This record gives sequence, C-alpha cells and structure tokens, in this order.
Amino acid sequence: MSKVVIVPCSGIGKSYGTVAREGAYVVAEDLRPDTTQLIPLSLLVLGDEQARADVSGAQAITIDGCKLACATKMVAESGGTVAHDLAVLDVYRRHRNLKPAGIAELNEGGQQLAQALAEEVATLVDEMTGEVKNA
Amino acid sequence: MSEEMLELTVDKFTFRVPKSLYFNDAGIWVRPEGSVARLGLSDFAQQRSGDMAFAEVKPVETLLKPGDEFASIETIKVNVILPSPVTGAIAEINRALEDAPELINQDPYGKGWLAVVELTDWEADKAKLLDADAYYALVKEQAEEEMKKK
Repeated sequence: MSKVVIVPCSGIGKSYGTVAREGAYVVAEDLRPDTTQLIPLSLLVLGDEQARADVSGAQAITIDGCKLACATKMVAESGGTVAHDLAVLDVYRRHRNLKPAGIAELNEGGQQLAQALAEEVATLVDEMTGEVKNA
Repeated sequence: MSEEMLELTVDKFTFRVPKSLYFNDAGIWVRPEGSVARLGLSDFAQQRSGDMAFAEVKPVETLLKPGDEFASIETIKVNVILPSPVTGAIAEINRALEDAPELINQDPYGKGWLAVVELTDWEADKAKLLDADAYYALVKEQAEEEMKKK
C-alpha cells in the first residue's frame, strides 16, 4: 500500500498552526516514518507538480490550524482523498491542560499537544494501513 | 425567522448587528422575551475573540447584576470573562455549547446563545444598555481602531 499522505497547516504567526506542523513532523519522522509521507501545503498551493502527483489518488490525513481548513481544501482540490481531517482546536478540547502558546518555539503545553496530536494521527495511520502498533 | 440587521464592513470583515437587540459595551447582546431575556455574544465580539475552544456559563439560579461574570470563553486567542448586562437569575443555559462551543462563532444570534435570565429590573437595566444604532457606532469605532494596529 502507498504511504499515507500527511498535510499540515502552513499558516504562520499562530500557535495552532505551529502545533499542526510539529505534530506532523513527529508522525512522519518518529512515530510512523515507514508508512507516512509529509507533503508541504505550500507546494500544493503553488501547484508543484510532484506534490500534486503525490497527493493525487492518495489517502490523506490533513491537520488544520484554524477553521479556514486550508490543508483539507487544498488536498481535495489537488485530487487527493481526505480520509481524516483533524483540527488542532478539537485536539486541544480533548486536552485542555495543554494550552499552546508561542509561535517559533512552542511552550511546554504546545509541545505536549503536538505529541498528543501526533499520537492520534499515528492511530489513524495504523487503521488505514491495517497495521497494529504500540504508539 | 430572519431579523433585520445593520451590517458594517471593515476591510475584509463584516459585522452584523440585529436591530431588535440591546448590548453592553463588552458585546453581550440581550433579547427581551417577556419576563426573561436571552443573552449571547455579538457577531463582532465573537469574530474579534476568535475560534471558541470552550464556553462556560454560570449555573442556573446564579444571581446577577450588571457587570457580574455570567460566563467565560476561551478561544484560540484569548480568555474572556463575560459581564452580565442585566439584573436577575440565570434560568437556563445553553447546554449545546458544552460539546459545540463553535456554535457561538457559527450562529452568534441564534444557536450560539449563552443563557436565559429571569429579569428583575429590566427597565433600569435597559436604560444603561446600547441600542443597535449605538452599538453599531461602538463596533465601527473599535473595528477601525483594530485595523489601525495592523
């Protein structure tokens, strides 16, 4: 099976966007490097041919930092299938003690929220790939 | 039922102010309904506050006077204490906000209402509140001030 595509928010200047990206890095680099592929949203917005080809026809998990849901919209517009769309705000609602702050550098709560987000994404990846792992 | 609205557009933002409501200067709207009044957060206040993460309203039977905290919100940008615009006791709270605080963003004058208060001094309270025209002028002033900061 092809890798699950992960597309996080590319917004700058907002803690929730940073949490989206940090969480995506944790999934793609640490938790599920063999079964996921990280695609930058900015390349999809620019119409990069390789990025669009990677997304087109793929199963994707999008991680949005705000209600504009740019990641989800761009994956759909690029021909990908959004299997799961996560919003950082929803993850925060499940972990109210992890209030994110900071932008270039997240506070402790933000880092832990990114980890919690990553673990949710990893679970979804496992469901999609049929693999069972200990997160 | 659609309400008549005043609309203000500043830059890319449009703010709606129902003509039939009253407001305090914190952006809490009041809709008189007989002996009670329904309260909520104005369109301008919810847009300025950002996406709602949590909304908590004081319990039923809480006694209020103008300025008392009756609810609080936490958004992606700010934590805000909401002051009551009226005198009375909370008679009902919007339980839907426990699972879906985003209703405040999506429908601030409808499904996103916060509480219903049994009024005990409405005429005196009303005299201190802003009508739609006065609140519209306040929103215009505050929105233009915000734009200057950008």
